[in-house]
Amino acid sequence: MELLHNLATGFGVAMTPLNLLFALVGALVGTLIGVLPGIGPIATIAMLLPLTFHLEPTSGIIMLAGIFYGAQYGGSTSAILVNLPGETSSVVTCIDGHQMARQGRAGTALAVAALGSFFAGCMSTALIAAFAPPLALVGQSFGAPEYFSLMVFGLIAAVVLAHGSVIKAVAMIVLGLLIGLVGTDGQTGGVRFTFGITQLSDGIDVAILAIGLFGISEIITNLSEAEEERSILAQKITRLWPTREDFRRAWPAALRGTTLGSLLGVLPGGGAMLSSFAAYALEKKVSKTPSEFGRGAVEGVAGPESANNAGAQTSFIPMLTLGLPSNAVMALMIGALTIHGIQPGPQVMTERPTMFWGLVVSMWIGNLMLLVINLPLIGVWVQLLKVPYRFLYLAILLFCGVGVYTVNNSPAAVLLAALFGVAGYVFMKLDCEPAPLILGFVLGPLMEDNLRRALRISGGDPTIFIERRISLALLIATLLLLLILILPFIRKKRQEAYQSEG
Amino acid sequence: MTVDHAKPKGRLRWWVVLQGKNVLSGLLFIGVALCGLWISQDYPVGTMSRMGTGYMPRLLLWILLGLGGLILASGLWQADQPAVTDASPGAAWRPVVFVTLSLVVFGLSLERLGLVLSILLLTGIGAAAGRGMRLLETAIAALVLVALCWLIFIVGLSLTIPVWPGF
Repeated sequence: MELLHNLATGFGVAMTPLNLLFALVGALVGTLIGVLPGIGPIATIAMLLPLTFHLEPTSGIIMLAGIFYGAQYGGSTSAILVNLPGETSSVVTCIDGHQMARQGRAGTALAVAALGSFFAGCMSTALIAAFAPPLALVGQSFGAPEYFSLMVFGLIAAVVLAHGSVIKAVAMIVLGLLIGLVGTDGQTGGVRFTFGITQLSDGIDVAILAIGLFGISEIITNLSEAEEERSILAQKITRLWPTREDFRRAWPAALRGTTLGSLLGVLPGGGAMLSSFAAYALEKKVSKTPSEFGRGAVEGVAGPESANNAGAQTSFIPMLTLGLPSNAVMALMIGALTIHGIQPGPQVMTERPTMFWGLVVSMWIGNLMLLVINLPLIGVWVQLLKVPYRFLYLAILLFCGVGVYTVNNSPAAVLLAALFGVAGYVFMKLDCEPAPLILGFVLGPLMEDNLRRALRISGGDPTIFIERRISLALLIATLLLLLILILPFIRKKRQEAYQSEG
Repeated sequence: MTVDHAKPKGRLRWWVVLQGKNVLSGLLFIGVALCGLWISQDYPVGTMSRMGTGYMPRLLLWILLGLGGLILASGLWQADQPAVTDASPGAAWRPVVFVTLSLVVFGLSLERLGLVLSILLLTGIGAAAGRGMRLLETAIAALVLVALCWLIFIVGLSLTIPVWPGF
């Protein structure tokens, strides 16, 4: 009953004309950047983050969320029609989706992807509504020691599921934690690592860091590689609605993808990308005709596309209930909330129920909008793909510049972002993933605060972390994760999961 | 990215090892940690029950130093790791230099020259980062972007960015 009451509150918030507009803007921008390769949701959300300062926090977060799940819809379009993943989470969709398009079944592939995403969006919204309140209740019982251990666990777990070298990722987390400490120490008033620059004394804004590391460095990377030829399938998309046979094969795959994606989205380090890779592997494994995969199997589209949307949405659960970002986008969401003085955590649900439930309901509405935006308007989005990258990057570069400047109307921020852009390019060249750095950056001040408080409670005795039962359990889980990673067998499996087959 | 399997001898071999991704990233982390430790040497560390300004940063810097050492060691251990090599080494510098330069100029000029001129500067310098950009195309792109930015940021969002040079 309480759930119904909460959802009614949410509808009240999400259905106001202004919030409907922002959900639509988010969905449109998300689809746009989803379709376009070379710009992803992380950079876009970072660019728009400063603008949300002028909005109501609820409207702002509704729009940013729309961009994240909207990008999952858009990503499939370019994957199917151009064999070019618009987003990293659509890499596996290329394999069978593009084959279907080559066989003249582009419309079916697009429809299956959109309907699967919609189904996953509805299911995962329901999951958030059902599971977020009890999880927030658990979070409310946490003290400083538990929170510190939870963050350690979250950060390490995020590394396990990310790809690439574990030890480098841990080093990137530590670097992120350090960058997060730049500025004035809230407790002692001491100033750290500001190099005498006054603009740095308030700390570095997450938007500046993210635009540099993801937006600008992406431009440099793309330009230093040769531009790929894009062959858009010139055929008319005739038949959109899938046949009965397609439906029969696609719906169990969509259901499996949704389940897997929802589970992986909640885990630290999970989210859209991992979900789609895992779902493709799962579909191939359970299929009676695995040889069809890579030759236009409809399950290979339905599974991953449902999974990435489900994963994108359920990754909101740990962020909203525990204040724990499971991926870089969620780290930015935390940034968006803290601009407005809202500290994400278990108290959000009780102190700001209208924001929480408004967001949940808006996700459902946004998914409905996306279905309309994507299916009938597919032709419009395809036209966008004809814009060559040499025009596109100038626009992205400009929006990065303006976005950074508007963080707090400071020219110094633009220079700082340019610096992070070069740093991001160097990291990419050295195979150091920038995502763990952002997670560490957001959690840096929080970890210091909780460590400090925990040690004050215990009078300087670090054994408090193993005396508290929940904290001990989290630390043991962290150690187990690290041990597992060292085992060669798991290491091999982990690499396999990220190998795009085809 | 090419994997260098050939193992040259003597000084050349060391040069190849030095270019390994793990070696370079290990050195990078060690360098950052050492710089940080040097900068933070005077930060008050405090005690465990009353952590000072320098406690957490210095703790993290020592961890970073250790991790950097491990990464470096792993890089030296496996000498046949992927090296940072480009197909055409000169090509990568162009975008790094011009993308950065365009943003620096944009940041410095925005408040003095206004939005319109800054956008023209950014697109002009930024266009040099790419290949195959023609003059006329760039000019048209710059004008379109000026119009777009003016519509979105000034008309639509009414941000307080100076549009023209202030005198």
